[in-house]
Parts: sequence; structure tokens; C-alpha cells
Amino acid sequence: MGKRRTVLLMVGVLAAVSLAGCGGASGEKTGAKEKVRLMVWSPSEDQSKDSGQWLQNSCEDFAELHPEWDITFVYGIADEATAANQVAQDPVASADVFMYANDTLTIMTDANALAKFGGKYREEIETTNSPEVLESLVKDGDLYGVPFTTNTWFMYYDKSVFSEEDIKNLDTMLEKGTVSLPFTNSWYLPSFYIGNGCTLFGDGTDESQGVDFGGEKAAEVTDYLIDLAANPNFEIDADGSGLAGLRDGSINAIFSGSWDANAVKEALGENMGAAALPTYTLNGQKKQMTAYAGSKAIGVNPYSKNMVAAVELAVYLGSADAQRTHYELRNVIPCNTELLEEEDIAADSLVSAQNDTFNRTSILQPFVAKMNNCWVPVENMGKGIRNGSVTHENSLQQTEDMNEAMNSDGI
Amino acid sequence: MAAAKYKSAKTKRFVNNTIVHVSLAILAFIWVFPIVWVVLTSFRAEKGSYVSTFLPRSYTLDNYIKLFTDTSILNFPRMFMNTLIIAFFSCLIATFYTLAVSYCLSRLKFKLRKPYMNMAMILGLFPGFMSMVAVYFILKAAGLTEGNLIRVALILCYSGGAGLGFQIAKGFFDTIPYAVDEAAILDGCTKWQVFTKVTLPLSKPIIVYTVLTAFMAPWLDFIFAKVICRANSDQYTIAIGLWKMLEKEYIDSWYTSFAAGAVLISIPIAILFLCMQKYYVDGVSGAVKG
Repeated sequence: MGKRRTVLLMVGVLAAVSLAGCGGASGEKTGAKEKVRLMVWSPSEDQSKDSGQWLQNSCEDFAELHPEWDITFVYGIADEATAANQVAQDPVASADVFMYANDTLTIMTDANALAKFGGKYREEIETTNSPEVLESLVKDGDLYGVPFTTNTWFMYYDKSVFSEEDIKNLDTMLEKGTVSLPFTNSWYLPSFYIGNGCTLFGDGTDESQGVDFGGEKAAEVTDYLIDLAANPNFEIDADGSGLAGLRDGSINAIFSGSWDANAVKEALGENMGAAALPTYTLNGQKKQMTAYAGSKAIGVNPYSKNMVAAVELAVYLGSADAQRTHYELRNVIPCNTELLEEEDIAADSLVSAQNDTFNRTSILQPFVAKMNNCWVPVENMGKGIRNGSVTHENSLQQTEDMNEAMNSDGI
Repeated sequence: MAAAKYKSAKTKRFVNNTIVHVSLAILAFIWVFPIVWVVLTSFRAEKGSYVSTFLPRSYTLDNYIKLFTDTSILNFPRMFMNTLIIAFFSCLIATFYTLAVSYCLSRLKFKLRKPYMNMAMILGLFPGFMSMVAVYFILKAAGLTEGNLIRVALILCYSGGAGLGFQIAKGFFDTIPYAVDEAAILDGCTKWQVFTKVTLPLSKPIIVYTVLTAFMAPWLDFIFAKVICRANSDQYTIAIGLWKMLEKEYIDSWYTSFAAGAVLISIPIAILFLCMQKYYVDGVSGAVKG
């Protein structure tokens, strides 16, 4: 008798638990409002009091726009560069909405951890962004995020040393002042090769075409780089030496991105200039330095329990209003096409430098899997030139070796 | 004649001593050099990660002050407390595990003894982080990957495997004569009493060694903390915080504070070692009575 009662009790408890479980999953309704819990991940500056709590404020604004939901926000810290790894590790226990850099897109799509945007959301995103930016978030025809900024590097220079005319050409600049570039960093060095017609995976998406960093056109560039490294007015930027040089005046121009804007402003003050990449003179001809570029975007977790709210929030965080406050609070350079036409933003040299680089002097950084083989060989080329093992005598062979290494899967 | 001989022996000794001391001084300089550099950098007033001079041009305490006051982006005091709590409890549990397992394997004769030692040997050959993702999912299934329970999860991670690291302590226990145990048992001790009242008091050096290693492992670990904390920034340990300071967005403004943090994390280890050193010396000098 006692036993049977216990069994009945247990069945009852189990039933109650499972029912409660269902209730939690489908979202309880209190009155007319639907309870929604959204977990949002962003870099810590977006949530810090010192820089205006952009994320919290934007999320609260979003909640006001949607009175039909009673939203509880849960915030977590994950910067754009590493969010993909966190999400791919365990999508089910990850944020509903997060920010990521577009070169990490395949990490998440491979783990089936990134939702596609379609229908009216995709249309809305497409009308407010340039095709180049959108292209950085499209894989096999599907759109995987709401872009909120472009991600590339450009040039900071001292206006008291270089004129508007000087900064159009690297070699002219080298006659007037000292220039520093992260020569041994393979995010920067390929810009010279790409400028002289070297290509990566066809238009950047066709893995089968491979990398073309070989032949006469690449060897010419290697020869140019050997001379560049030997130029007394050129300094190799490593471990922050470029920025330190700007501070003490020994260096007059560096190549970096928007993350260093405040430090450069502090170092140069009124003389701070920012511009798209210059050309360089190769055998008498002007060639355009061409950077890798990408974007940062807001992604949505396909395992989100409140899909509609999550997608709406992502679109809101990437909207013109949110991008404007992001720009005002944290200098995050907007990419919304309507916003870029507004006067104060169009007048900001930092914004025009970055977007000019993105539109004119860059290629989309390929995110095919084989791109992973392309970093170390270029870095080794930079180091080889620095330490003198790559010379004019063996430059052709060394360049071919680099090309071969970039095209091989071996380590 | 005799005086001359005496003098030459003295000179010889002087020359020998000079050579030894100079070479020791050079080696000491090389070893201490990086540490001095980190300490100097932590007091450096110039910003940025790169400086062209070895000695800072001006000194300041601001880097330390910044660590404890500028908590909006990287909350160092909280990370420090998190790590201290985790390391303290891991240390207690892991020390007990290690010593208990070592005692059993050294003193008790049971069937699984040999197989267990072989198994531990083989398991010890695999790097711990191989099982990292599996550990994460097990902890998640147990509900330990959210909020403050992350600390419990990390304590479990750091102390759970301690029973496999018994080799050194067991080797030490083996040197204590069995006759001591037998005498204690004749006097009416249980196995537990033999362990706590006879073996442990005779093994201070190895206890000190175990405590030190058990404290340092969680104090310095990065990889498990990173995988288990994920986006919960309020649970970050110091290792994650210091790593964050070197990311490209922060490195320029946080580099000198990073050095300050590196100096600060060495303090608890130094204190622990200084406190334990006394017993360490006592243990070595008071040899085991046979």
C-alpha cells in the first residue's frame, strides 16, 4: 500500500515537472505580454559605464519599441574575434544575439551555430548596406548577420610632415618622413602583392582556383619589399613600436585600424590625419596597396527559443539609430549607407579613411577554409626579408616557395 | 718560504672564488633579468607596449591604481578574488586527495594496487586538456556552468584529478620505515590515526611540496578557466583577465597594468612559499626516526 502511494506520488511529481518544462520552453504569457529571455553577448566596452553602456541602452530602447514582449536581458562578454569559438563550442548554451567578425563566419556555419536572415529582415538589411559589406556576410547565397561596422586597416599620418598630395604615394612619403608598417604581420604584408595583381581563390570565394602569389609579378614585389625594408626612412612596426614612435616623434605615419584611433589622437593631437592606403611605385609604375577587409556583424543563434525577438533585436542593434550611438559613444565606424551620408559623420576623417579603404583600396578577405594556409608563409617572407635571408639574388625562388606553401595543406 | 706557499694558496682560493662568484653573478643576472624587467614595466609611466629604452623614463604607481579602480572593462579585483577562492579550495581538496591516495598506495596492500598505479601512469601520459570539451559538457549537464556555480565547477576540475599525481608523495612515504606504523598499530592506532598522527607529522616537506603545487596549478591555469567561464565575465580568473589585456584593442592602454597584474599574482605564491619554507627546512633537518 505504502509502496503504491509512493509510486503514484512520483508519477505526479514527474508529470508536474514535465508540464512546467513545457511551459518554460514555449514562453509563459502574463496578460497580453509574452515573457522573453534574451541573452546578448558583446565586447566589454559596449557594456562598460565609462563608455556609456551602449548595449544596455540600446536593448532597453528595443524593449520600449516592443511592448508586446516582456523582455529580460542577460548580458555576457564575448568580443567579436573570439565569439565564434564560444558559440561553436556549445550553441545551445550560447547567447541568442552576439557580435562576430566576418572572418569567423565559417567556424559557426560549420557547427550549424548561425541563423540565416531571410524575408523582410533580409530586405531591410539589404536596403541599408552597400553590396560590398553584404557580400562579406553571404555564404552560398544566404545572409548570416546584420553588419554594424567594417573591419580593415588604413593609414594614420602626421599632417605637419605630409601634405595631402604626399600621402597618395608611399615612396613620396618615404622621402619626407619616417613610415612604419607591420611588415612581419601577414594581415598587412600581402597588400603589396595584391596591389600588383596577385589573387587569392579567384575572386576570393572559389577554393579550387587556389592562390596566385607566384611568378614575375610577385617576385617584383618581393624585390620592392627588400628595398623598402632597407630604406632608412622605413621602420618595421612590431609589438607596438609604431605607436611608440608616433608618441616620441621618430615615426610620422603608421598603418593600423580604428582600435588605435584614440591612442593616435593622443599622440598627434591636431596633426592627426587618417587616409586610405597610398600607392607604391614599382618599376616606375604606380600600384595601389590593397588591404584585406571584412566586417563585424550581429549574429543570431539558431537554437534561440525566442527566434523572432532575437532576429528583431539583431536588426535593431545594426540599425542606423544604434550605429549612430555606437559611433558617438565608442567611435565604432558605421556602415549604414544612410548614416554615412549624414554631414557630421561624412566629415569625420576616420570614417572616410576606413570606408574609403573598404570601398576602394581593399579586397574582401576570403573566408574559405584554405585561407588558413595563407598566413604563415607570408609572415615568414616578411621575417626573411627583415633578417636578410631573402635577397635580390634569391627573391624569385623565395617567392615561388611562398606561393607553393600558400597552396599546400601541409604544415 | 712557508709564508710564500701560504700566500699562493690564498691567492689561488681568491682567484677560484672570484671566478665562481663572477659566473654566478652573471647567471643570476640572466635569470633575474626578465623579472626585473616586468617589475620595472609595472612602474613605467609611459604608455604603450613598446619602449625604446630599457629603464623607464619616469615612474608611477598609476598602473597598480588603475588595476584596482578602473573596473568597468576588466574587473581585476573580482578576478583576483575569484582566483583566490578557487585556488584556496582546490588546494585544500587536492592536497588531501594526493596525500590520502599516496598513503594508501604506500601502506595498504590490496588487489587493485598495482593495476591502479599502472592505470594512473597511463592516464598521466595524456594531456589534461584533451578531455576539456568533454569535461565542459559533463559540468553543463550537472548544471555547473552558470553563475557562481562556475567556481564550484573549476574547483572540481582542478582537484578532481589530484589522485593521479601521487608518485612523489608515495615515494616519500615509502622511505618511512614500516616499523613505525607497526609500533603505532600495536599501541592501538587505526589506519586513519596512523596516517594523521604518525605519517603526516613525519612528512612535512612533502606536504609543503604538495600544497605548493596544488595551489599553483589553479592559480595559473588558463585553458580550463577559459573553456568553462565562456562569456560569464563576472567569473573570470586572473589568467583570462591578463590575456584579455593583451588583445589588440586593449594592449596599448593596458600593457603596463598587465605587468602590474603579473607582479601582483606572484605575491600569494611568494607568501605561501615563505610561510611554508620554515616547515620545509624543519622537515628536511628533522630526519625520520627509524
